[in-house]
Amino acid sequence: MESTEKRQPLNALLDGLDIETFFMCRDEAEGRSLMLALLNQLGFSDVDIVFIEHRGPGARVRGRAYLHRPGASHPFGGQCA
Amino acid sequence: MTKRVLLAPIDPVHDVGLKMINRGLKEAGHETVLLPPDLPPEEIVEAAIRENVDCVLLSRTLGYDVAEHTARFVDIAEAAGLRQKVKLGIGGMAIRPELGAEMGFDGAFGPGTTVAQAIAFVEGRPFHEITGIGAERTRPDITEGFTYSYRHPEIERLLDKLVDQFMEWVADRSSPAVQRAALRKQILETERNGGNATELRQQYGKLCTGAAAAYYTNGSLPDVVRTISDRELDLLDEYCKSADKNGPSKDIRRGAKKPLVFTQYGTGCLVTDIAHVKLLEAWAADGVVHFDPSWGARTEGFLEGVLSHKGDGTIITAENLAKISQSLQKHTLFQVRAHRGLNTPETVMLAGEVGAHLTKININYGSLAGGTDPERLAVDGYHAMRYAAEYGLPFDVVTNEELAGVPAHKAFAGMLVTAHIGRRLGGRPILQPLFCKGAEALIKGLMDDNHVDFNAAKVMALRSIIDAPIWPGAPVGFMTHTEDRVQSAMTTALHAALGAAVGVEAVSIASTDEAYSGGPIVSGSRVDTLRAVMEALRFFGSAQIAPTPKATEMANNIVDGIVKVLTQAVETGFVPGLYQGVFGDPEDGAYPGRAGKGTVTRREQCVR
Repeated sequence: MESTEKRQPLNALLDGLDIETFFMCRDEAEGRSLMLALLNQLGFSDVDIVFIEHRGPGARVRGRAYLHRPGASHPFGGQCA
Repeated sequence: MTKRVLLAPIDPVHDVGLKMINRGLKEAGHETVLLPPDLPPEEIVEAAIRENVDCVLLSRTLGYDVAEHTARFVDIAEAAGLRQKVKLGIGGMAIRPELGAEMGFDGAFGPGTTVAQAIAFVEGRPFHEITGIGAERTRPDITEGFTYSYRHPEIERLLDKLVDQFMEWVADRSSPAVQRAALRKQILETERNGGNATELRQQYGKLCTGAAAAYYTNGSLPDVVRTISDRELDLLDEYCKSADKNGPSKDIRRGAKKPLVFTQYGTGCLVTDIAHVKLLEAWAADGVVHFDPSWGARTEGFLEGVLSHKGDGTIITAENLAKISQSLQKHTLFQVRAHRGLNTPETVMLAGEVGAHLTKININYGSLAGGTDPERLAVDGYHAMRYAAEYGLPFDVVTNEELAGVPAHKAFAGMLVTAHIGRRLGGRPILQPLFCKGAEALIKGLMDDNHVDFNAAKVMALRSIIDAPIWPGAPVGFMTHTEDRVQSAMTTALHAALGAAVGVEAVSIASTDEAYSGGPIVSGSRVDTLRAVMEALRFFGSAQIAPTPKATEMANNIVDGIVKVLTQAVETGFVPGLYQGVFGDPEDGAYPGRAGKGTVTRREQCVR
């Protein structure tokens, strides 16, 4: 394994990165769009909404970016099937 | 060696943590001086010099001005010449390790620090997170101490009759799966002794279909399957060794013997699976359950090699199972499922060969809700149970047909038949009712008031019938999970706590991704539920969760229903009863499977 000093955070991720937050938004659809846009802006392409619940002023939302999908890649040097 | 330790809370009031550490240090034979809260740094330093201590432990709970307070203390300690002479530690809710190191403390401990950890720091020895029985974790036997004697004579009588009939029926029957299991065993033995198994492998290939047949014909693997490289396995080994170096995990039950907590892996990729298994162990799972792909259950025969699969479920091969088995810590229980599909005898045989500790067999579930032809699975299940007995593998009898809509009493009747067959063959079955919100509960309103009564009633019903181990699953809380991870972890934890309260031997839990269908389960979601279960078991301890009187009524109804089903099954016979809907019909959501239909052979064609 790489030493901690040399490691990039994304290289240390086992599978996915979840971001959970609260967006001020009109409805669930807007909340979804905001989370997907945020994940895209951070440079992730394999993204999804794991959970969203809109009430009152906005939405509690959990977005996910997959860095590795089983069978496709993993952080131990595996590549696509 | 005895140390002199000064303990000082640098908070206006909060000093409970330090008092606990103070007590722990004294019990460990050290001399301590505990100062009152909120003294200025100068007085603390003065006291440390006066008392001639070896170590100073500070605590800080409140979050404001933490950096300023701690930096000031270190400055004064240095100016007074204390810093060079004594070991300085700081801990508490407001402390982060990086902050302590930055300020020049020798040790900094954040929220969750244990007394044992603080003592290890004072004594200058490395600390491994060991609590309760965690230090001596052994691999328990779920079936230990159970007599399997019946408490309900009528049910015992009906089961005896049914199983007598079945034993006679199955005695001269075999299947391609039974033959392949025998061949695979010969292949393993031949190669273990340095022999050539080419001919045996050819015979095996002739009994395969689909992807397995192609593999034995031309060596090809399906597009979604690849062989894992040596380089990947080397890196994975390094990861496993690194994970194991951190010592034993916490004890999820804080010393209680049960329930054991199992969780399932099966991402498709063996490498990811093992990576997940190591974190499951680290977060104190007692056992892991191998989850295989659904297409594997509908294909005659197994592939070979260390394989990765792009899709849900990790392929069963001797090599894959061996690799998983080798990656486990010695106390971790390993279960390989053989409850459905066309390869159940070989699955159990391989589980035994690689040193797994448990398997899973249920003729009824696999043939009514798992897609396998009842006659075929009855034959394969029988032989799977023979292997389970041969290898000493206890097996749970899962009743997942409840999820399809089959009422509990019908599912339980089937479970008891499989368990009774298992006992006849010398096996050690474990009853696995579902702790779930299935169709029956919804339709009959059995969980309208609470989720305790019906689940508790299932355990009460089974206990009133037989003295056998009970392991609710799989996973507990099925149909109550949502994509909200807080809710999901909570419902899992509550169901596990209920399991503990009613005294079951084990529970199987899901991750908080249980209800999320958009992608594979991630590692953090696995930790979520283990952490929640640990907290729930901590919260309830040996306190009871009391079902309402309705639970007794529900339990009695289940038992009465089981008697009716078994009475009817004695009339039809076990296997015909599966086709005729005795144990669940299409209206219940049970459909006799078709995979393997027409493949059962009679004595003259039998190999095993």
